[in-house]
Amino acid sequence: MTSLEQLITPWDLDETLADLYVPPFIEEMAQQVIKQYNFNVSSMEVITTKADKGGLIWKINTSIGPKSLKILHRKPSRSLFSIGAQEYLVNEKKARIPPIVKTKSGSNIVEMGGKIWFVADWIEPLYQVSADIEGAKLLSNAIGEFHQLSKGYVPPKGAENASRLLRWPNAYKKVVRKISWFKNVANLYSEMLTSKTILSTVDMFEEQAKKALTMLEQSSYQQLVAKGNKEWGLVHQDYGWSNGQMGPGGMWIIDLDGVAYDLPIRDLRKLISGSMDDLGRWDIDWIVGMLEAYNEANPITDELFEILLIDFSLPNLYYKNVKDMLFEPTIALNSDLDAIVQRIVEIDKTKWPILEQLRKEWRGGKRK
Amino acid sequence: MKVLIVCTEKLPVPPVKGGAIQTFIAGAIPNLSKNHSITIIGRNDDTLPDKEIKGGVHYVRVPGGLLETYREGVVDYLKNNTFDLIHIFNRPRLVLPIREVAPNSRLILSMHNDMFKREKIDTEEAQKAIDQLDKIITISNYIGNEIVKLYPDAQPKIQTIYSGVDLERFVPTYSVKGQRIRASMRQKHKLESKKVILFAGRLSVNKGADILLRSMLDLAKKHPNAALVLMGSKGFSDNRMTDYIAYIKAIAERLPIPVITTGFVHPDEIQDWFATADIFVCPSQWEEPLARVHYEAMAAGLPIVTTARGGNPEIIEIGKNGFIVEQADDPREFVAHLSKLLSSPSLCREMGQYGRSFVEKNHNWNRVIDDISQVWSGIDYKIKNNVDISSTSNMNGEKEEQLLTKKAVAEKISPIEKKPIRPKQKQPIKRITTASIPWINKEILANKASNY
Repeated sequence: MTSLEQLITPWDLDETLADLYVPPFIEEMAQQVIKQYNFNVSSMEVITTKADKGGLIWKINTSIGPKSLKILHRKPSRSLFSIGAQEYLVNEKKARIPPIVKTKSGSNIVEMGGKIWFVADWIEPLYQVSADIEGAKLLSNAIGEFHQLSKGYVPPKGAENASRLLRWPNAYKKVVRKISWFKNVANLYSEMLTSKTILSTVDMFEEQAKKALTMLEQSSYQQLVAKGNKEWGLVHQDYGWSNGQMGPGGMWIIDLDGVAYDLPIRDLRKLISGSMDDLGRWDIDWIVGMLEAYNEANPITDELFEILLIDFSLPNLYYKNVKDMLFEPTIALNSDLDAIVQRIVEIDKTKWPILEQLRKEWRGGKRK
Repeated sequence: MKVLIVCTEKLPVPPVKGGAIQTFIAGAIPNLSKNHSITIIGRNDDTLPDKEIKGGVHYVRVPGGLLETYREGVVDYLKNNTFDLIHIFNRPRLVLPIREVAPNSRLILSMHNDMFKREKIDTEEAQKAIDQLDKIITISNYIGNEIVKLYPDAQPKIQTIYSGVDLERFVPTYSVKGQRIRASMRQKHKLESKKVILFAGRLSVNKGADILLRSMLDLAKKHPNAALVLMGSKGFSDNRMTDYIAYIKAIAERLPIPVITTGFVHPDEIQDWFATADIFVCPSQWEEPLARVHYEAMAAGLPIVTTARGGNPEIIEIGKNGFIVEQADDPREFVAHLSKLLSSPSLCREMGQYGRSFVEKNHNWNRVIDDISQVWSGIDYKIKNNVDISSTSNMNGEKEEQLLTKKAVAEKISPIEKKPIRPKQKQPIKRITTASIPWINKEILANKASNY
């Protein structure tokens, strides 16, 4: 087997290799991939690797300007969904998203090593927006615009229909279930330092998750999703300060690999609750600022806003941070998890009055 | 009759890459070629030619992977080829596109999973597809009932044909061959004096290994000589550890009894673990169509503890070949049943023997082949006598026995009365050796690679 026939699989599962290490056969493949394009490459630099998944990004300097060369770690039919979305948003909707560079034969992609490779423009200059309320508003508005523009997207032939639209109840059930695992493990390892902290908080968060699930089931979720994938459009799924940046002509959105059909407020929920986590408390002015900026680009109906409030009430932060205790509990339960949980409990206390206030004060896309 | 079998887009036939449906087709269909001209269309594979004739059966292989891609290949093929009967497997979404290019063929659909669920197929398309079918064969009553709940019109078309097991490969623990395998496996894995409880399946939430592990906490107190074997392709030592595997590993590490994860077991060796065990447990949490492992456990002469989920209880006669856990996520119920079995080797033996005779009688492959053959003959009759699709009359002109009466369905749905519907007991028609069924030995073995 020559190196070009090899399949790309995760090359650093136990995380022992250097961050930017690239297996030689993949570098060889990159040279072959580049040959399929109408440009010459003067230099290439590894920007980031997903060594545990089998993904990679290079910045390449070419005879027609700087470009990105990417290996998408997902399976080809899934990656084609995202590539199709990127092309749709750039060509049909003129979105500020890096255009894809076509191969000599006019294709968007090269398939090699069982993965999709593609080249896109490297947008320069790009700046991260400031980590304050103004920056958060810019990000909110940009993702609203993205959601608006992505409506109507239909994936190309050969692509999977990537959708999370119908999966919300299952995602909520997963959170409920995993929180019960935390409890079981903490009980089994009750002699550990942090087990007591977990056990003293887990019931409350389990209750919150169950309540969120019930609220979701009683909400207009089913009617909303019945509208269908195409009508709702795409959600970025990995949006924040690095994948939304200020550049030529306004805000640019990059790294679309994970886009899927979904209720748009998923991105907004992650952006807002992530900001509140950074802030260390829930802040009504921030949230209202972000909501207004978003609403300007992609209006939030009252029904959809209800779903956003429900999604906020899921104990996302607790779940995300405590999850790691399942791995090597004897180590995890003796670490700084204690301090982390204490902090989450404090932040959580500030969340509920704000949600209550939003429930009362937000109507028809603005604060009363 | 000229018959086309339409496989799914996922895995090729013969099952060189495994797959329950592929195994079923390879095991049952070619044998029917004595009386019918059979073509099997499936997805292509690097190791198989795109076209071949083998054992009198024509094989056509077109690109697969995505249903849309596959559908195109199937439709293209049917534009130039006509069949009396097209038997589609597990893909209701292929029915209408096939009907469009095969306006005069009779269509049958075999259902191995709940692919009629709302999220799997659009309601309107599903209803139209059902209208086009002469028959819907399901691998359990559960699957049939789920279809009828959503599409009551489908009821007269539905018939359960339970699957089969290789009775020569899965030998009872108490047979001479079983004893030999058992002794060497137990020695190799240091289980000589242990009471071995076997789980077989993926380590995933749906399959419920976590509940079983948690039940071991209490069980081990009363039965310190118990040991648990988790047979599945992923073990605790896998590099890519999911949250779930981490979780069950965390439980296992706190148990006072040995827990063995086998990791990948070669398809040829799966029966060895069944022969090594004392009790088989299927702690499934999801509404499972009906897991094959039950047949394999019974063939191995093991008493079964399974959950009241999906089609699994349909093949359990409580207290005779197994016990049913009603509250699937309650470890205490597992403790009660397992404790009873662990305390009484004679009960285990008795139930194991009953299970063996149960599958010998009801789940040998000949019976499966015979059932399908009968369905096909019914279609043949309808063609010859110009009987239309919706008619459920059989060759004798009588109304066919409807598998699920409305009352039976109501009982099944009703949360109060949850009595499993028993399979119809059938006598094996004639004895044939597995050697006369192409692939049955080799490929059914190969299938296990993906099943576990």
